[in-house]
Parts: sequence; structure tokens; C-alpha cells
Amino acid sequence: MEQQSELIVALATPETVSAISLVRLSGKGASKTVEMLMKLKPGRLTGRKRAVGNLAGIDHLVAIAWPRGKSYTGEEMVDLMCHGSPGTARRIIEELEKNGARIALPGEFTRRAWINGRISALDVLTLFERFKGNGRQEKQKNLSEELKELKSEMEGLIEFSEDHEVSGEEKINVLLKELKNKAATLVINVRNAEILPRVFLMGPVNAGKSTLFNKLIGEEVVVVSSTPGTTRDGAVRTVTISGRNVEICDTAGYGGEELDAKALEIVMGSMKRSDRIVWMDPKCFTPLKHLTEKYDVLKVCSLADRKENYLKTEWLPVSSVSGQGIDEVIEFITKTERESPSWRLERMIELFAEAIKASESEDIALAAEIVGEIFREAEEPEKCGDAVERALERFCVGK
Amino acid sequence: MRRCRGKSPGKVLCGEVKQGYQVVVIGGGHAGVEAAIAASAIGCRTVLITPSIKKIALMSCNPAMGGIAKGTLVREIDGLGGAAAESADKTALQFRMLNMKKGPAVWGPRVQTDVLEYCLAQKRNLQKAGVRIIQGMVEKLEGHNSSIEGVLLSDGRKVEAGAFVLATGTFLNGMLHRGKAAWPGGRRGDVSAIALERDIRERMFHVKRFKTGTSPRVVRKTIDSKFLEEQISHDLSFRFSWSSKSGVKNKENCWLTRTTGATEKIVKESLKHSPLYSGRIKGKGPRYCPSFEDKVTKFPDRTGHPIHLEPMGENSRVMYLNGLSTSLPEEIQEKIVRSLPGFENAIISAYGYSVEYSCFETGEFDNSLRLKRTDNLYVAGQILGTSGYEEAAATGLLAGANAARNILGMTKIVPERMSSYLGVMVDDLVTIGTDEPYRLFSSRSENRLNLRQDNADRRVFSLACRMGTLSEEKKEAYARRNKIYNSLRKEISAKRIHGKPLEDICRRPEISPENIGRMVGFDAEEINEKEILSTAVLDIKYAGYVKRAENRYKVRMRYGEASLSSVEDYDEIQTISIEARESLNRRRPKNISEAESIPAVRQADIDALVLHLMKERVSRET
Ligand SMILES: Cc1cc2nc3c(=O)[nH]c(=O)nc-3n(C[C@H](O)[C@H](O)[C@H](O)COP(=O)(O)OP(=O)(O)OC[C@H]3O[C@@H](n4cnc5c(N)ncnc54)[C@H](O)[C@@H]3O)c2cc1C
Repeated sequence: MEQQSELIVALATPETVSAISLVRLSGKGASKTVEMLMKLKPGRLTGRKRAVGNLAGIDHLVAIAWPRGKSYTGEEMVDLMCHGSPGTARRIIEELEKNGARIALPGEFTRRAWINGRISALDVLTLFERFKGNGRQEKQKNLSEELKELKSEMEGLIEFSEDHEVSGEEKINVLLKELKNKAATLVINVRNAEILPRVFLMGPVNAGKSTLFNKLIGEEVVVVSSTPGTTRDGAVRTVTISGRNVEICDTAGYGGEELDAKALEIVMGSMKRSDRIVWMDPKCFTPLKHLTEKYDVLKVCSLADRKENYLKTEWLPVSSVSGQGIDEVIEFITKTERESPSWRLERMIELFAEAIKASESEDIALAAEIVGEIFREAEEPEKCGDAVERALERFCVGK
Repeated sequence: MRRCRGKSPGKVLCGEVKQGYQVVVIGGGHAGVEAAIAASAIGCRTVLITPSIKKIALMSCNPAMGGIAKGTLVREIDGLGGAAAESADKTALQFRMLNMKKGPAVWGPRVQTDVLEYCLAQKRNLQKAGVRIIQGMVEKLEGHNSSIEGVLLSDGRKVEAGAFVLATGTFLNGMLHRGKAAWPGGRRGDVSAIALERDIRERMFHVKRFKTGTSPRVVRKTIDSKFLEEQISHDLSFRFSWSSKSGVKNKENCWLTRTTGATEKIVKESLKHSPLYSGRIKGKGPRYCPSFEDKVTKFPDRTGHPIHLEPMGENSRVMYLNGLSTSLPEEIQEKIVRSLPGFENAIISAYGYSVEYSCFETGEFDNSLRLKRTDNLYVAGQILGTSGYEEAAATGLLAGANAARNILGMTKIVPERMSSYLGVMVDDLVTIGTDEPYRLFSSRSENRLNLRQDNADRRVFSLACRMGTLSEEKKEAYARRNKIYNSLRKEISAKRIHGKPLEDICRRPEISPENIGRMVGFDAEEINEKEILSTAVLDIKYAGYVKRAENRYKVRMRYGEASLSSVEDYDEIQTISIEARESLNRRRPKNISEAESIPAVRQADIDALVLHLMKERVSRET
């Protein structure tokens, strides 16, 4: 038995007065529901069809239907193009809700498209970047398509050059370089779109966590005081540092007081495997062992500008006052996550460089092998689900 | 009828079999010759039945051996104890290494050969191997399918044996076509095996029709070579066979000319006369070795197709026009030839034609090349659906070896896909099948950086030992080469240059084996040593890629085919992620490989799935 997910609905265009609004409906029964509401013959909107008519007395509109496997989400889907006032669209959505649809979550359409293999993880991020920006949706050839073409060009050159006298070595070099540049542009876009793993500032009370937090986000959000335990609730901020989006969480200090220990437990309960920790302690006590085992931890010897110095090896001296060590902290919190799309792209760029070198050294067979590896990198972006999930959480409803 | 299957060499067979043969090979083409030599090398009394002793291993089409991937295959044949490589070396007229600028993994050694000399050389090899040759045409197989007992010749003679290799090439119900004319034949001047094909069909084996074609041959002195471009020969002291003492000599020249717009025009206007395009030939032709009619139809705007002029032998008075395969009527072939620059007065000595023939359907034979419905009938060469002398010779060797092993009660041998082109080809033919004549390409292998011509002997040595086809002499020669290789590898891995391990330096694309040789003071003089140096350096250079390719293959083999049909609802497998469950439920992949290709199904999910399948199996079994 094949399953299809619930019927979801959302407004896919901005909620303002415009010429038309687009209401998108995806999931099992999308066609049937609209057929019924528009009083169409059963099957009239089943498959790749289009119908014009009145929907439940609300509006005269155009309905475009796609069958499973052919639509954006990969599911049965209907787009309703109605007159562009927010009121009309809202009434249509309400009507659909009455008939079994539920309002989509942010990014749910795209998520379904991804899960159903209609788009790759890289596509998700590029889309995110586009939706974030001005919403331009120019259709681009995706990288894996172009890689496929390059690969077949190379194979032709290897197998048939003597029969057909193609002299394509030069062309291969040019293509490789073009694609490398393309990947380099893409990596910038993807980096912009990616949300990096969360960073938790942790450590004993008054280790200077809040000062560092303010320093990193560039404004005073947390009240800084030297009374132990000032920061009670963890403050969270998404900031852009060195062009990368990071979520930074300040936590209440750990200081033996029962309340603090409990606060720490709560924080840890909400942590994910991919989260990073900046453990701050002017005395350089070893951070809790189960933290270092489970998470990526940067050990920071804070307040490094103070007189008493307990610096130990493997600890990074940092002073929010003098700025010492701040760059290293930033490097740690903005470093590319393993297996994320941008990590893969970076690896692809390295591989392109290798392939170019091989082809310049008259080894097309080796270059082709490397292109094969790049292709596998590009084809397997699904393996970087976490980064994609984080981006999807930030999509707007209707995408 | 009593079964006559000797289990060991020298064992006397049942009374009525006077000849006492253990293996009968039917057809003395490239496949049949290697099959007979291999069977004999393993220790079976072997007979080869073919209509004409003069045409043994005759090259029906172009006078050349080797090429991209094919040349590598010829070297594998040598490593497996076959004869084609040695004969190609001996009868070579010109040598070229194709793909010299595309990387050592795809270098394609190719020689022009003296066709008649090659026949003689292969005949001598048969005799040296102790193979009996009977001139005759097989018309029928005797005995039930499950156990073939003998063959019946057209002159009424019967030959009995324990195992059989069928290697009848393009002859099974062969029909030759040129223009409107069509007549039965296996090749120009040879009769078609009509009765044998009927017998095969009556035995309910599934056959399909393929076709192929050849070019006209032209009288050499009627061509004005002023207008031709000479093809450079390569002087690399190359040889296919590790037994050949010196590199092949360049004795003859080849030339290149190009079709003019006029040539294409003539062909386009005459397509209605072509048996290929008038619908008279229905068999599938090789896409990769197209007729000139195909080229003009598929690339209507292209002109200047290269035509290679190749001598049929040393000082031969006939030149082969490679690239001009056609079955148009004779008068049109004349016009076509005369439209080529330098050919204004050319005289055709033999016209091009097509041949349509029967070969076995995929699924009829297994990976030892035995017809599945028989116990002892093997097939090799063109009738497997392949095309090309090299492909035929290699499959012949395998079929002959397995036929012999069958009689001697030994296990069947299957070549590995990851370590030889022979393995790639057999696996492709058995598992994927082919709906056009199958030609080998380097890209058919997923381990191309390893399947090189320079290391062919190393790759197939253990296979050769298992097969039992390699002579003691060749084994000893291999051991000597292997020793040099091993000590060289040791030296390279121990050495550092300016603190950098030499192995790392080997991996740089711009570094050549000669560079490395100089760094370790290995000055290779002799051909073998030069080659060993290349092999050692290239093995290091490509090791990482090769290992990854092999791992991918292992994973695919281990789990890829595992069926997922037993899983009804993925939601019940709690160990896989929710997204993966959702999409698995929706997409219903057939097996693990398909599941792997679904986005949102991650490696961890695949591992969990595999674990689930294993648990399921255990619980079903207990
Ligand atoms: C017209 C033509 C065009 C070709 N064009 C190409 C091409 O473009 N590219 C390419 O790669 N290859 C081409 N080939 C194919 C090439 O010749 C074969 O791939 C190769 O020769 C196959 O080897 P084989 O041993 O399987 O068969 P063959 O070389 O055909 O040998 C078969 C042998 O079996 C013998 N035989 C047949 N029937 C019987 C019987 N009943 N009893 C006893 N003996 C029998 C025949 O006499 C012959 O000696 C062409 C062949 C022909 C005839």
C-alpha cells in the first residue's frame, strides 16, 4: 500500500493586495476536494489538468492540478489562482480547512518536495536564499545536471576520439574551470542560507559568558553584572558573523547552587547532537566530561586580561576586554559543519581543482574519475539533513 | 544411450566413441581458437571443427587487433594463457597507442595485422597446444539438451565428446545483404550455418537477430597517396604478450582521408537502396560501429568523416577502408569510393556488405558461459551477442576453460568484474544483457583506473592459476616480474625526498613513472622493467580511487540486491528516521540500492534497514 501525506493548504503569495493570489493545496485528495468545491465532474481535475470556475461562491478562479510525481511537492497538488485580495484568499483557505485540509507549516511544501526526491538539499538551500531575497525564481540548470553533461563529454572523448577525431581536451579544461567557478558562487549562496549549529556559551557563574555574548552579537542584550548568577534565563540570538548565520545561546552559570545546576540540566535537555559549546572558565577547570564526549567543545580560559592567570594547555585565552582570542572563538562558532551542503560544496571545489590538474597533466581518465566523485558528492546532499531541516524551519508558510 | 563423460584426462571413453575427445569446439574463429587452446591447456583431448583450415581466426572485418579497452583485453588474454596476443605481436604491421593524451588508464594499444599471417600464427598455436582440427560443417547437435552427446557433420560424420563449445560467429543462419541482393552466408565466401541454427531453435533455445557490416576493399595501386595524410606509427617498443621478446615493428603505413560533401550526398540520395534503411534488415546493428549510412543519417550536417586506409597484409595489394562500412549496391559503392580525394580512379576489389545472424538471447547462458538448459554446452564469441575479435577471443578462452573443467569435475571459473575487462563483459552480458552487438568500452568498468593495459598480467594472474590455463614457463616468468615489482614498491615506500614520502610524490598528477624511476635509481632498460616501473607508480597514484571504487562495489554486492518486499509498513521499523519512513512508504523501493537513491534516506537509515532485514531472516529461520 502506498501512502500519501495529509492534505495541507497555504497562501503561496505575499499577503498583500495584488493582481492574483495563489493558494496551494498538496496531499491526498487535493484534486477531489477542489472538484467538489468547484462543482466539477469527478476526475475533471485529476492528473495534469486545468479548470476555470467558481469555488464555493467565494471567487471565480483558475485551478491547476498536477498528479503525483509530477508536481512541485511530488504529491497530488492543486494551485488555485484567485483574485488578489487577502480576504478572498483567506476565505478560500477557510473553506478548504472545513473540507479536511490543514494549514501548512513553514517550509512544509518544500520539505515534502525534498522528501519525495523532487529537489535536492542544495536546491532547498538555494530556494531559501531566493525566498529570503527578492523572490526571483529564475530556472537554473542544477549542478548535478551539468556534471552529468561534463561526464558524458569526457567519456565520449575517451572512447571515441580516435574514431571521430574530436579534440576536446581543451574544452574539458574550460568546462571544468567553469563548473569550479559555479560551485564557488554556489557555496557563497549556500553559506548565506545555511544556519549553523547552535552555540551554547557555558561555564561557571561569572566566567564572562554574557560579556562575550554581547561582544559577539554586537549589542547589549544581557544585563552584565558581577554578582554571581545574574543571568537567569538563557538568551538566544541568531546573528550573522563573518557572513554565516549562527544561533548563540547564553546560559545561566554553573556554580554549585542548586538552581544553577537545574538550569544547566534544562539547557542540556534541549541540546541537539550537532550543537557546539564554548565552555568558559577563568580557572581552566575541565568541563564536564559528558559534555566533551558528546559535543564539540571549545575550552576557553576567559578573563585572560586579569592578573591571576590559570591558563592551561589546550585552553584558549580570551578576553572580551582586550579582544584577545575573539577571532579564534568566531572561527570555532562559524566553522562549516561536517556533511552540510556547504561542507560538501567546499569539498567539491577542492575536487574540481584536482580534476583540473589531472586534465592539464593529460590524464582525462583520472579527471573523469574525480568528476565521478564530485557527482556522488552532489547527488548525496540528502546526507546533510540537519542543515536542511534548520533552513526549512525558517521558511515562510506557503513555500 | 550411454553417457560418455570422461572425468579425467586420459580416461578411456565408452566403446562407440572411437576418437576419445573430451571437448569439441565448433567454429574456428577467434573465440573457437582460444576455447580449444584453453581446453587443451587444462588437459583435455580437444578437437576443433571448422569448415576451412585456411580461415582459422580470419579477421572478417578490419585488419587490426586492440584499441581502447579492447587492447587491454588482448593483454588479459595473454595473462590468462591465451594465444591472440602473441600472434598479434608476431604479425603486426603497425602499432599505435590510442588515447596517449588521456591518461595511462585508458591507453589503447592497437596493431594493424597481416590478416593471412595471423591465421597461420593462430593455426600453429592450435597445433602447438595439441588441438586436433577437423574440417567440416556441423549441422546438428546429438542427445538431449540436458546432456549433449555429440555433433553431426554435413558429410555424415559424428564426433562425440563430454563437453562442447559453440563458437560459430556470424554464421548462424547468416544472411548477407548488399543493395537489393540478399543471399545466405556467414561471411563473404563462406556458407551459412542454416541447419545448425534450425536445430538450435528446435531445441527451444531463444535466439535473436543482430547485424553488422563491413567496408569495401580497394586495390592499393589505384589510390593516389598524394592526397592522403599519413598516420604516424608509435615507436614505443610495445608488445601485447609478456612472452614476446621485443616490441612490435612498424612495417607498413596507414593513411587517413576524409569524406567530401559529395560522398554524403551520394549516400543520402541512395538510402532507399540500402537494405538497412529499406527495412529488409531487421537485426540490430552496433551503435558504436555504425555503417556509413547510419553516420550520414544521424549526423546529416556533418561532413569530412575520417576514413582510415589499412593494408590487409605486408605489401598487400588491397587496402581496407575503415570507417566506410556499407551495404549499398555495388555501383553506388563505386561512386562513394571515387568521391574520396585520391580515389578518383580507385578500383574496388571486394564490396562492402552487411550480415544478419542469430545469436543467443540474454538469460540463455550463465556466467561460466554454459547454456543454462544444458549440462555441457558452452557458447562463446559473437553468438553471445558480442562484436569484435578481442571480445570473441576472451570469451572463447573462458568458455573453453569451463568446458574442460566441467569434464574434469572441477568447479566453474567466473572472472571478477572489478579486476578484469573479461569480468566486466561477462557480468554485463549475463546480468544486463544487450540488445545490440556488445562492444567493450573502458567506461563499462567502474574500476577503470585499475583496469589498465600495463598491469593486465597482475590483475588476472590468480584467475589464470585457478583456471589452470597458464603454462609453468609463463608462471615462472610472471614470478620474476612480480619480484621486481615488489622490491620496487618496497623501495618507493621507504624513500623520502626532502622529508616528503615518495609515495605522496607519486600521487601528483604531473609526476611520471620515469621521474620516480630516476628518484629511486631504477633505470629501466628492458621493456619488462619499464612497464613494471609504470605499473608500480600508477598503482600508487590511483590506489585511493581504486579502493573507494572497490568498496562501493562491495557494498552494492552485499546489500544492493536485498529485496525489501517483505517490509509492509516502514513505520514499524523504529530505527529509521521519520522522514525516511515517510518517503520509503511512499516510494516503495524494490531493493536496498533503490532505497539508497531516495533523498531523505540516509546512510544510517540504510544500515538500520539492512539490520532489520537480517533480524527478520533470522527470526524466520528459527
Ligand atoms: C561482414 C562482417 C562485418 C563485421 N563488422 C564488424 C565490425 O564492424 N566491428 C566488429 O567489432 N566486428 C565486426 N565483425 C565481427 C567480427 O568478425 C567478429 O566479432 C569476430 O570474428 C567474432 O569471432 P567469433 O569467433 O565469434 O566468430 P567468427 O570469427 O565469425 O568465426 C566463426 C567460425 O565458425 C565457423 N563456423 C560457423 N558455423 C559453423 C558450423 N556449423 N560448423 C563448424 N564451423 C562453423 C566459421 O567458419 C568461422 O570460422 C564483422 C563480421 C562480419 C562477417
